[in-house]
Amino acid sequence: MTTSEEAPLLKLERVAKTFPNGTVALRGVDLSVERGKVHGLLGANGAGKSTLIKILSGAFAATGGRILWKGSVVECSSPKEALDMGVATIHQHIPIVPTLSVLENVFLGAKGGWRQTMASRKAFGDLCERVGYWLNPDSKVGDLSIGQRQMVAIFQALGSGAELIVMDEPTASLAMEEREVVYQTVRRLAGVEKKAILFVSHFLDEVISLTDCVTILRDGEAVMRAETCDLDEARIAEAIVGRQIVAMVRAEPKKLSDDAEVVLNIKNLCSPGKLSPVSLALRTGEVLGIAGLLGSGRTELLHAIFGADRHATGAVEVLGTPIARSTVAAVGAGIALVPEDRMGQGLIPGFEVWRNTTLPALGGVSWRNCLPVREREMQRANEAIERLKIKAQSPDVLVTELSGGNAQKVTIAKWLFGNVRVLLLDEPTAGIDIGAKTDILRLVRDLADAGMVVIIVSSELEELLAVSDRIVVMRDGKCVAERVGHETSEHELVLLAGGQVSGALGDDAGNGSMEHRAQSLS
Amino acid sequence: MYKVISSDNAPSDSRAATTNWRRVLGLREMGVYYALALVVALLSVAAAYSGDVSYLSFQNLSNVLQQSSLMAIIAVAMTVILITGNFDLSVGSVAALSAAVMVGLADSIGFVPACLVAMLVAVGAGLLNGVIVQYLGINAFIVTLGTMTALRGVVLIVTDGRTVSVDNPRVIGAMRAFETGRWPIGTAVAVIGLLLAAVSLWMLLKARRGGRGVSPVAVGMGVCAACLLAMAWAGGQQLALPKIVIYMVAFSTVVWFVLSFTMVGRRVYAVGGNPEAARLSGINVVRYRLAAFVLCSAAAGFAGILFGSRLRSVNPAALTGAELTVIAAAILGGTSLFGGAGSVGKTVAGALLLFTLTNGFNILNLGVNYQGLLEGTVVVAAAAIYTVGGTRRRGK
Repeated sequence: MTTSEEAPLLKLERVAKTFPNGTVALRGVDLSVERGKVHGLLGANGAGKSTLIKILSGAFAATGGRILWKGSVVECSSPKEALDMGVATIHQHIPIVPTLSVLENVFLGAKGGWRQTMASRKAFGDLCERVGYWLNPDSKVGDLSIGQRQMVAIFQALGSGAELIVMDEPTASLAMEEREVVYQTVRRLAGVEKKAILFVSHFLDEVISLTDCVTILRDGEAVMRAETCDLDEARIAEAIVGRQIVAMVRAEPKKLSDDAEVVLNIKNLCSPGKLSPVSLALRTGEVLGIAGLLGSGRTELLHAIFGADRHATGAVEVLGTPIARSTVAAVGAGIALVPEDRMGQGLIPGFEVWRNTTLPALGGVSWRNCLPVREREMQRANEAIERLKIKAQSPDVLVTELSGGNAQKVTIAKWLFGNVRVLLLDEPTAGIDIGAKTDILRLVRDLADAGMVVIIVSSELEELLAVSDRIVVMRDGKCVAERVGHETSEHELVLLAGGQVSGALGDDAGNGSMEHRAQSLS
Repeated sequence: MYKVISSDNAPSDSRAATTNWRRVLGLREMGVYYALALVVALLSVAAAYSGDVSYLSFQNLSNVLQQSSLMAIIAVAMTVILITGNFDLSVGSVAALSAAVMVGLADSIGFVPACLVAMLVAVGAGLLNGVIVQYLGINAFIVTLGTMTALRGVVLIVTDGRTVSVDNPRVIGAMRAFETGRWPIGTAVAVIGLLLAAVSLWMLLKARRGGRGVSPVAVGMGVCAACLLAMAWAGGQQLALPKIVIYMVAFSTVVWFVLSFTMVGRRVYAVGGNPEAARLSGINVVRYRLAAFVLCSAAAGFAGILFGSRLRSVNPAALTGAELTVIAAAILGGTSLFGGAGSVGKTVAGALLLFTLTNGFNILNLGVNYQGLLEGTVVVAAAAIYTVGGTRRRGK
């Protein structure tokens, strides 16, 4: 029997989670987190990371296995209990109250009758001192940058006196300098304060430079546990994806003849404050990739082309006909947009697969362009399910019950039946598994071969290189470079997108900075 | 492309959809009909027990229908506006304004022109609401709370705070012809019943030939057909309903048909279900929502005209609080306040439920004092059933 001092702070033994609908999220995960160590947790989408975090934070109960806290078995059934025990979780989407001040947010869970006291002010000062980062306690959280909000969340976790801090992709939406602050804080918390930190991330370089040991999840199982110093990025990547991918095969360089018809012609399209004037001409069958960092104006460009941006100026022409600035006109002219946020912008949550699939081109399944015919709609939905390999039991399933990748396929499928000539895809492969990704990329090539014009925005440069004939790099709302697909490389695109500004991870310079940007892009 | 070695993309099995009868017949989907049937049953037993009246007489049932029709007309339009994700509190004031304008002008310019002016005023109010909400982007609750108060003020200005009434006998005659009296419906009921039976039979046969399960719509139609035919057979040519009920049924049927079977209806649900996705699918969200406001105000205006025609006089406080009855009916029918879900049939059933309760209290002499308490309880209980009774939201 070990004493509580020697035992790891938190130990999971064969923890499993099966959802009531039969989905197995965790098959039995072992994990032990020790004081003073930063423990990295990695895995592809759907590997079970979020489920594990939710079990730790008390949002879900595990359906199998044991959780040991300081050597004794515990059962957490609510986030409050987990917090009282000493586990604080910083979620990816930071749950803080934007209308309250920094101080009030940090001590949101604290007991007492007053909104703020001198004691809490002092405690806040101490926190700032400990972390080495200062925030104005009275500024409203809604006015802070995303990075500062992340720090508020970290303060909140510390303010509760937690011993284990779970950070779920804390740097995913942060700029370079803000990331650096988070790294320093993490190092300080582990090194000086002897807190245990479970650090979840997609960025391999930050995991390598920041963590002491790493656990990698795949398909609900821990497939690797190792000291970070024994690992390199290649081995981690291999463990994350398994042996599924051998290589990304690039598209054959396609010879687009100069006399091919120009389908989409964009002239001086710009939007004040978001987009500098852009002019592009795309010929039939062309796939244009758009590379760029988050916030570089990629999404804004697609929305402007689609007429969804009311303040945009300039002209968009399809087959020589100018399109009015509205989504109705754009759809009428054969432009389709698959938006980035599929549930928020792409699908109607209360609709089944069939009603979502037929929504943009209802006329084609309707009697005299007026009354939709159920049989034809079902037929179309079944066709979509077959063509895109959507895993749905029937077209009658609600889209909210589909997994991310399959829901994404529905957002694409709904455009395949109209007269779509131009397909705009905004991060079509974000957050979906490799199989669905492959299906979608293959579909993009097929559609282009059939004569459609496709513009695809993606943070995964490898994908862009695989499907694009031409790649445009955006930065700060401008198109800064244009490359032919098979003549460029990830390396070059990263440099172009990042603008070769330094802003490295830690004190690495030059080469390190570049690699870091490569990671933050992918 | 990725090269995938171990591909697990089994071909998806797209089985024919099977109907989940437990869900279709569950409290969440059919609750309001059950509640209506239960209340009617309880009241008829109670009335039979007390012995003085026969609750289930055609006369009394048609009275309930008549009393609820005015509110049901507005509630149906309110359902549409709620489905698009908006809200309209101003319907009571709009109806009162329309009634006041109609009654005020009828003596001088005649009944029909006065009605046209009243409808124009109502449509104008709807446009005003819609334009402020859609183009200025102010929350519909706030806007219509404002217009509710403001338009009630306009009613006071128009009527100068007094009750206005109609004196011209010709106008009174026209109003009578428009609102009062009954239409024989025996033949119509029989014809509609036969039609529904035919359609339902056709659907059932087609489903059997296609090897699919029986669809709930076909069964529902069959049940309706049986009821109508039984009514026609029992009542024969003596069946007659008040005109206002006929107006209500006609309006509800049109809205139900549009919402359930047309592209416009599909888009209305889409607009409420996720406005951003609807917009990016090429649907003119602003136009649909504006049209819903106009429809709602027009329905309120029409109800106002019916109201004015019935009483032939309007006092400035008329129809105060009507908006709440209307919204209560829609909520009883399971309409979502967040948009994207609602059904005309169930809203009408909700209105009937509310007025059945009122009518029952009167018939049984149970004292008006308890009425508000019971009605409020019913609304909250209904909302609780819809929220707790199931986690799945359906489009219709």
